[in-house]
Amino acid sequence: MKKQETKNRNSPFQAYTNILNYIYITGFLILATTLFYFQVIKGDYFSNRAQKNYVRPMLIRAIRGSIFDRNGKTLAYDKAVFNISVIPRQIYKEKESLFKEISIFSNYDKKNIERNYKKNFENLYTPVDIITDIDKSLALKLKERFGDNIIVNPQPQRYYPYSYSSSHLLGYVKEARIFYDQLKQYGYNPLERVGFLGIEQFYDAYLRGEDGGDLLEVDAKGREVGFLGKRLPKKGKDLYLTIDADIQESAQKTFEDKTGVLILMACADGEIISLYSSPSYNPNNFITGGKTSVFLNDPKSPLLNRSIQSAYPPGSTFKPVLAIAGLEEKKITPYTPFFCNGEYTLGNARFRCLKSHHQQNLYQAIAHSCNVYFYHLALLLGPRSISKWSIRLGLDSYTNIDLPHEKKGFIPTLSWKKKFLKQNWYAGDTLNLSIGQGYMQTTPLGLARAINCIATGGVMVTPHLLKRADDLSPWIDTSKTLDIDKKNSNTIALAMRETVSSDSGTAHMLEDLNLGLAGKTGTAQTGKESHGWFIGFFPFEKPKYLICVVLEHGGSSHNAVILTHKFLEDIKQQGLLF
Amino acid sequence: MRILKTFQLKFSGFKTIAICLILLNSLSLASIFSSLHQAGKFTGEDILLKQMIWIAFSWFMLIIFSFINFRVYFNSAYMIYAINIILLVIVLFFGKKVMGAQRWISIFGFTFQPSELSKAAIIIILARYFSLNSKSFIKGFLIPFSLVVLNALVIIKQPDLGTALILFFVFFIMGFFSKVNKLYFILTLSLGLLTSPFIINSLKYYQKQRLMVFINPNADPLGAGYTIIQSKIAIGSGGVIGHGYLAGTQNQFNFLPERHTDFIFTIIAEEWGFLGVILLLMIYWFILKKIIQQLLNCRDLFAFYLIVGISVLYFLHVFINIGMTLGILPVVGLPLIFLSYGGTNLLINYILMGIFLNICQNQR
Repeated sequence: MKKQETKNRNSPFQAYTNILNYIYITGFLILATTLFYFQVIKGDYFSNRAQKNYVRPMLIRAIRGSIFDRNGKTLAYDKAVFNISVIPRQIYKEKESLFKEISIFSNYDKKNIERNYKKNFENLYTPVDIITDIDKSLALKLKERFGDNIIVNPQPQRYYPYSYSSSHLLGYVKEARIFYDQLKQYGYNPLERVGFLGIEQFYDAYLRGEDGGDLLEVDAKGREVGFLGKRLPKKGKDLYLTIDADIQESAQKTFEDKTGVLILMACADGEIISLYSSPSYNPNNFITGGKTSVFLNDPKSPLLNRSIQSAYPPGSTFKPVLAIAGLEEKKITPYTPFFCNGEYTLGNARFRCLKSHHQQNLYQAIAHSCNVYFYHLALLLGPRSISKWSIRLGLDSYTNIDLPHEKKGFIPTLSWKKKFLKQNWYAGDTLNLSIGQGYMQTTPLGLARAINCIATGGVMVTPHLLKRADDLSPWIDTSKTLDIDKKNSNTIALAMRETVSSDSGTAHMLEDLNLGLAGKTGTAQTGKESHGWFIGFFPFEKPKYLICVVLEHGGSSHNAVILTHKFLEDIKQQGLLF
Repeated sequence: MRILKTFQLKFSGFKTIAICLILLNSLSLASIFSSLHQAGKFTGEDILLKQMIWIAFSWFMLIIFSFINFRVYFNSAYMIYAINIILLVIVLFFGKKVMGAQRWISIFGFTFQPSELSKAAIIIILARYFSLNSKSFIKGFLIPFSLVVLNALVIIKQPDLGTALILFFVFFIMGFFSKVNKLYFILTLSLGLLTSPFIINSLKYYQKQRLMVFINPNADPLGAGYTIIQSKIAIGSGGVIGHGYLAGTQNQFNFLPERHTDFIFTIIAEEWGFLGVILLLMIYWFILKKIIQQLLNCRDLFAFYLIVGISVLYFLHVFINIGMTLGILPVVGLPLIFLSYGGTNLLINYILMGIFLNICQNQR
């Protein structure tokens, strides 16, 4: 033994043996290290990937809650459509020919199939929708023809029967993956539907329901080899709105292609009976993949809900606010006269009126919309007082309507002008403010709420669309009451009644409707054509409805009054008022 | 009785290797069984049976070759080389096509892959040339190199890139240990690396795919990269202790292609985990260690070069095969010695082991 070792040590091949030894050791160490990295360090990661390989969740979508109007008419519901999907791993080799055959068989454009495949592809083992939204008979025919190569799955699809008329109220649904970054913390799945805009977005948590699904065990070709579990989907909750779908339709019919806003609200509790923003869009197009570019590229921005997202100068419709301030601050009585000679001179500047109204009291001034009267009143009140009352009436705050993306109005103040425009407040600013011009802007709903507050003697309602929902307590009235003298509010109601009832009133043409309407018109000057306003309520003794019409760049208030007439006449004839 | 005595004497130093080989045989059969076992059913009786026959036959041939004096190969090196080339050419014209490659000759239902024979033939003929101890460029380098190139060209034509590459690797390592000027080898190697872009250009489509995939396996998850991704997932998911026998999901649910042949390692790694594969690497290491220890006993250059060639061949198969399943080397289609399904490879490796045994006895 000893001898052999000595011999070994003297072997001429000792060096070579060592070299080979080192090469092999290095090689094995490389392998062992890599294996250590893959199996020990990254083991969990690969286990996870392995699991994803063979466990396939088959989503069963929850049926979303339906939305009904105040009379139980359906505004939105899920209908069943059929989707055709394929498993990429399974059809990988024959993809081209399969798509071609499906295309010929179903008369569905091959390019669309390929586009859908690319768009919906997630991984090799998750079914990919290639054709969506087909009827049952075609789906069954396809299944018969292509067998295991395709999967037919019924899917709930959102449908809005009152397509254009209620789109701003309802919004629509989108796939959650678009907003997945924000939504994942709330437990959304990227393929789930999520409400976008309107009621669909605001009450998504109620409407949503819970998706269910089957958990299947599959082999490498995507064939089902075992069943791991099932979870039944839970239907979302139904919502009942304060909206009247027929009045919505009527509003849409009234506007035709004009741009503007129409709001019909219950005075007592702020229930929105109709809220229409024109132009409108068809939400169904966003769901079925129909044409949406017409809506997205229209310069009139149909997607904008003007009632809560646009702020306009209120023009003369602001005057009742000034009047209540004057009466409450005891600067005037209803019969305090001011003389109007058609214009008001302040320094070198002349502030015009519509015409020379001569002597005017409050009733006449509101009925005739006399600017000079309100110039005098504004100077008596002073800008601080005007701002204070505007703010008290909520013109610079959110109405907190149950819709997303609400904007608020803007009331200029002395300190604001100083700070942001680096200018002093001039008397001219006060005059501009008094007739709702200049820096001031209000949303239609914001001004409607303020006028409603004056009409009802101080009730600041929270406008809302939700009446009740399954398993959800009914709407809690969150209206506040402002401390306004009933006598004063009655005075203004009477004055606004004059606008309609008096022969010389600016909205006299509405009198023939016999609704006991009181109101105020407004023409808000802009750089371009003026916006026309009409805000009114009826019956004036005990207001039930408040109506607000804005005609964007409609020329003058007269056009807004014509529109109001058309609308009220229509719903009155249909007997839609209760 | 005398025969038994000779046997005892013959195999006394062979115990470790024999135990290792038997362990590998068992693991091979178990893993092939597992790879053909799906959804609780076993579908490949004939494959398992064939492999058993091949194992038995290989052991028999190992013993036979251990009795043949290795010196015989010195004289018959040319003949073996020529037979090998002829068989390869026959394959090119009459061979059986399996998965796009024409590598097999079919005899009585058993297929034979002559490119495996090349590995042995090249080791023998190189051992002969280098053992002449010539320092001349022509005898010590040019002729052996040309023989390798010729053989490799016929193999690449099949196409079998892995085997062709192995031949070159064996040539370079054996050459480095010879008396010939090392510069020749270095220059040739550099030249080879420099021209490799052109060689890659002339490769078959699937070979190019496999090389591209090696660079980025995620580029084409359903194409050639699929194999590597699935193989990595299978190996990684094995974790430290593995899923247990017949419980690997990647294997059982059919996610791994070619898994009883070139990718058998993934089954083992998935089922037995890190501990299992380290044990496997140790078994290979014992075999290699035993073989190179024998170099110290060599008193004959021909024996020396044969042993170097055999050990390098074994090592390269283990390293390249496991390396490719891990994605650190390109997928070139080499089996894992003693484990992968495939008779010719097993047979040739056992014959080489038999030759090694014979050298051990002769050099003692």
